[in-house]
Amino acid sequence: MKRIPVKERSGLAEAAARHEFEYQAGRGVPFWDETAFYQFTTQQIDEDIAAPAEDIENLCFEVIARAMEDESVLLRLGVARPHWDIIADSWQNKERNLYGRMDFSYDGTGPAKLLEYNADTPTTLYESAVFQWEWLEEADKEGLLPDRCDQFNEVHEKIVEAFPHLGIDSILHLASNQDVEDDKGTLEYIAECAQEAGLLTNVLAMEDIGISEDGQFTDLDDKPISTLFKLYPWEWIFAEEFSSHISASGARFIEPAWRSILSNKGLLPILWEMFEGHPNLLPAFFEDDPAADALGETYVRKPLLGRQGANVEIYRDGELETSREGPYGEQAHILQEFHPLPEFDGGYPLIGCWLIASKAVGMGIREDRTLITGTEANFVPHIIVE
Amino acid sequence: MKRLRNSASVIAIVVASAMFTTACEEPKVEAAIYETLQQCLKDINMVRSECEKNYNAARQQHASVAPKFASKQECETEFGAARCEQAPQRSETGGSMFMPLMMGYMMGSVLGGRGFGNSQPLYRTRTDPGTYRTADNKSAGRSTGRTQVAKSATSRPTSKSSTRSRGGFGSSGRRFGSAAT
Repeated sequence: MKRIPVKERSGLAEAAARHEFEYQAGRGVPFWDETAFYQFTTQQIDEDIAAPAEDIENLCFEVIARAMEDESVLLRLGVARPHWDIIADSWQNKERNLYGRMDFSYDGTGPAKLLEYNADTPTTLYESAVFQWEWLEEADKEGLLPDRCDQFNEVHEKIVEAFPHLGIDSILHLASNQDVEDDKGTLEYIAECAQEAGLLTNVLAMEDIGISEDGQFTDLDDKPISTLFKLYPWEWIFAEEFSSHISASGARFIEPAWRSILSNKGLLPILWEMFEGHPNLLPAFFEDDPAADALGETYVRKPLLGRQGANVEIYRDGELETSREGPYGEQAHILQEFHPLPEFDGGYPLIGCWLIASKAVGMGIREDRTLITGTEANFVPHIIVE
Repeated sequence: MKRLRNSASVIAIVVASAMFTTACEEPKVEAAIYETLQQCLKDINMVRSECEKNYNAARQQHASVAPKFASKQECETEFGAARCEQAPQRSETGGSMFMPLMMGYMMGSVLGGRGFGNSQPLYRTRTDPGTYRTADNKSAGRSTGRTQVAKSATSRPTSKSSTRSRGGFGSSGRRFGSAAT
């Protein structure tokens, strides 16, 4: 794994325009940095990233199976009892998962360490699947890249292939917070993939969803919603008024409710408890668990349900070293062993491995200037040589 | 690690041809249609319990899936004089709503033809009274008894009841902003 500086494509401005990304001469595309790329070997990708991700995915299924029988799991994850049936039903009905991103700390040597699993509402999907791939093709054409290079990226194809297996028998509705442009962009991309797979789609805002006389969710034309792709986390849904209608509505959700067990940071201590010593897992504990003392005074503290690094704190020798502000500080926390991101030229790359229908099929790297990857991190493309 | 980026056009062609097939020669499936429960019971090919179970299931769906109208007159224009009734639902403004009378029921064949299930109510319009139609206005043909119908006509009818309220989702998004992780 190397970080290699490179010239921007001559056609970056046109590429940005084509994909409706912002572009400013001299500053490029916000949150996208193609003045460098990360280079990996095939072996690094196959053995150190893809295989561990699929292995951990299988461990996650064991966690879900346990949560169905052992109520201490949902209790520790802080899921309120009224929502347990929604989660259990979604698992028993075998509702399929579509996509997720596991974030790893990896420097090219040794086992990659799972920092968290974005199993419910992962983003940077379009940058990974489409913009990054186009960069590879165009930069290659301009002679900016080594010969015969490739990219770990079948994300688009695999999403399209996954849709026919999700059991969607009428219109696919897709909803997000439509006031957030980035979320809207991700949602529209998923809708395009579904259309490419032959489905009819209808995109709307979460707040526009209605409830009918007979308890079905409805769209703005009063048509019933039978399958809803929601770019909207389950813990938000659970906290909202209409969640009481989910069980009787007959609607299926993508991601299904059981994925909320995996997107919760409480997954990390439960994985460690069940599979202690696994090379790709870091020791992790619920903050109120006396066993957390094993971490000593150097650790990372994360809220169960934070987003994009918010309210994450790094303690070294008992002192708060780095932290990010955010609105999630009031929740229960977990503590995880501090395994710092590697540094390359002043940046800290976080490896995001995409799993589509539980198969590792691509990668996106976000690079922050601090050890806690946050909203201002840049997406940096990658290549594979040999 | 495979380059398949230009597969989009290939997929589009496959989908288009599949749809073409659907439109022209839609596959038919086994079904049974009866105007009334009595008609079903008289059919020597049918079992009483199946007639009753499927009739009751269709009857139960009727109010929720039947097309709805804001006035009796609008409903009768579509379905004929004295062929409409008041629906149990209220419109969003609290007014009465009307729906056609159930004119029959259809059950689909299940378990490889060893029984019937997935029943739904049927309707007949004023302008084409000989044809049985599903609540989603798909033709189920003109004959009763055991018959064959287009596969699409046997899919579960959609609910036509109006939306009671909206806005029960979205408050967390207004508070926290992006769902991104």
